[in-house]
Amino acid sequence: MIDSLEAVRMWLVVGFVLVGLFFTFVSMTGVIRLPDVYSRAHTASQADTLGAGFALAAVALVIGWDGAGFKTVILLFFIFLTNPTAAHGIARAAFEQGIVPWTEGDERR
Amino acid sequence: MSVVDATVVAGYTVGDFLLAASAGFVLLALGMLYRAVKGPTMQDRVLAVNVLGTNTVVILAMLGAALSEPTFLDIALIYALLNFLMAIAISKFTVERGGVL
Amino acid sequence: MADSGGDAVVVPVEATPTLRATVAHVAEAVARGEFSTIHFVVLASWRDEDPQGADRRADAEHVIDRARVWAETDLEDAGVGGTNVRTAIVGTDDYLFGPSDYARRLAAYADEHGVGTVVLDPEYTPVGNTTLLQPMEFELSSTSLDVREAPVERPTRRERLLTEATGIRFAAVFGVSLLFYFVLGDPLYWFDWVTGVASATIVAITLSRISLDHEPSFPETPLRILRGAVYVPVLLFEIVKSNLLVARVILDPRLPIDPTMNRVRVLVGGGLPLMTLSNSITLTPGTLTTRARDENLYVHSLIPSARDGLFDGSLERWTRFIYYGREAARLPTPRERDDVAILQGPEATEALPIAQADGGAVADSPSDDAAEAVNRDADAGSEADADADADAGSEVDADAEVTDE
Repeated sequence: MIDSLEAVRMWLVVGFVLVGLFFTFVSMTGVIRLPDVYSRAHTASQADTLGAGFALAAVALVIGWDGAGFKTVILLFFIFLTNPTAAHGIARAAFEQGIVPWTEGDERR
Repeated sequence: MSVVDATVVAGYTVGDFLLAASAGFVLLALGMLYRAVKGPTMQDRVLAVNVLGTNTVVILAMLGAALSEPTFLDIALIYALLNFLMAIAISKFTVERGGVL
Repeated sequence: MADSGGDAVVVPVEATPTLRATVAHVAEAVARGEFSTIHFVVLASWRDEDPQGADRRADAEHVIDRARVWAETDLEDAGVGGTNVRTAIVGTDDYLFGPSDYARRLAAYADEHGVGTVVLDPEYTPVGNTTLLQPMEFELSSTSLDVREAPVERPTRRERLLTEATGIRFAAVFGVSLLFYFVLGDPLYWFDWVTGVASATIVAITLSRISLDHEPSFPETPLRILRGAVYVPVLLFEIVKSNLLVARVILDPRLPIDPTMNRVRVLVGGGLPLMTLSNSITLTPGTLTTRARDENLYVHSLIPSARDGLFDGSLERWTRFIYYGREAARLPTPRERDDVAILQGPEATEALPIAQADGGAVADSPSDDAAEAVNRDADAGSEADADADADAGSEVDADAEVTDE
């Protein structure tokens, strides 16, 4: 028998994974649909970070509070720190190379 | 009894669910691969590969949880580090030819 | 000042081990009749409005007074009278960032007081950043000033590394690395102790001078971590909230986006606070920091509401709260301070600092040299603007004027 606390934990895992899948789906849609590298960097850094964050939180819940679970938390923290930095680095490279951001009315690239 | 073996619905366990979700993430990764192939600019490709890398980390971690293989997490951690380094190194390299740091 | 150009010398001052020798060198030069006036200048890395501003100013005044007393004693000993020793603290109304800022301030001061020569203390590093002096010398060499480094006996590289290595920074980096190692490993297993201590030592030796630009100090550092912990849930909530907003925009079949590039001048110090702020801005959906040019952040916004949120500056206030405390967080929004600009679209108030306007063709990188690319940002920017739009040039000039004391 599963006690109620375990049931809550299980449904939290399911919910987190589904939310993570949703945000990663948003990120994928953005990366494919959006018109230029800057706006793609938005979803790549934000929706994807959140999606990965929720999925990793689910993994941490599954594993529980031992060494491996702690590693997952570190991984989560690390992704939250590095993903925006990487997106910033890429956007900065685009900026320095003189890629002009897309504005309304421009052709899609 | 760990959470992995708990039944979610109709005999399928959380482990099964995590495996299915990993498959979903793989499908999403295929969508991002389109951007990595198409570009058009160098930065688009780096960005797509970076997102793919984050996805890979998530897939690795979920597989590790589903199959009760905690060593997968170490690989995921290293992969995340390398992924970050890759993005930073390439974007720095394209701006300052030859000067990575 | 009535001095003719070559008669005065300016010495940027900071509490370094070689300051005494530098002062002695300048005094000798005066005794030889090279100069008649000495200016000791502190280039402030703080703003007076900062909560600790008064303390920092008092420290600076202490150092500068000591330099003046030393110089006067040396001159008396050498039997030279009537030399004018002046002191000043400049740059307290703004944060100074890279070497170019310091060089600009120094050059402006020199201009104002008719000074023709700069003598640099070889250990001079006003922000605790070991790589500042050479870029600063390089920047100064492009001005009309005559630059020289005081020929002070420099401690050898090895000794310098060792003295730094025994410091508090080494301990901090070592401790954090070791802790991280044990989180991943097993602290009860002797072999992990051996490898952990070895790796932490290597990390601390190679990176302690790079990864921290201020020494961790007792009441401040734990307080900052505590306030950072308060900030994390707030940030998470913001991220989720605005992510849903952006998700709706992206999944909308019409894709109703209106992306523009914007510029915001933020009032946080360089280094860690700036990183915190720009990463927070990037993490909150709809806004993406593309470029940090000194205190100007170039932020790309996806939808107008995200842009408005950025201009309201709540993240800036949170960052100030984390690093400088509660009082420092009360300040007008960037919009009220008139520190914002939209660089694209019909509401544009300023030209985009990108040379090409041909719709995103990949051009050659504007600079081949890494260090130069950073240092020349301001110049490169103004040239590019002049090409793209006449208005842009004046904006950059206005920026340069701000640096005048």
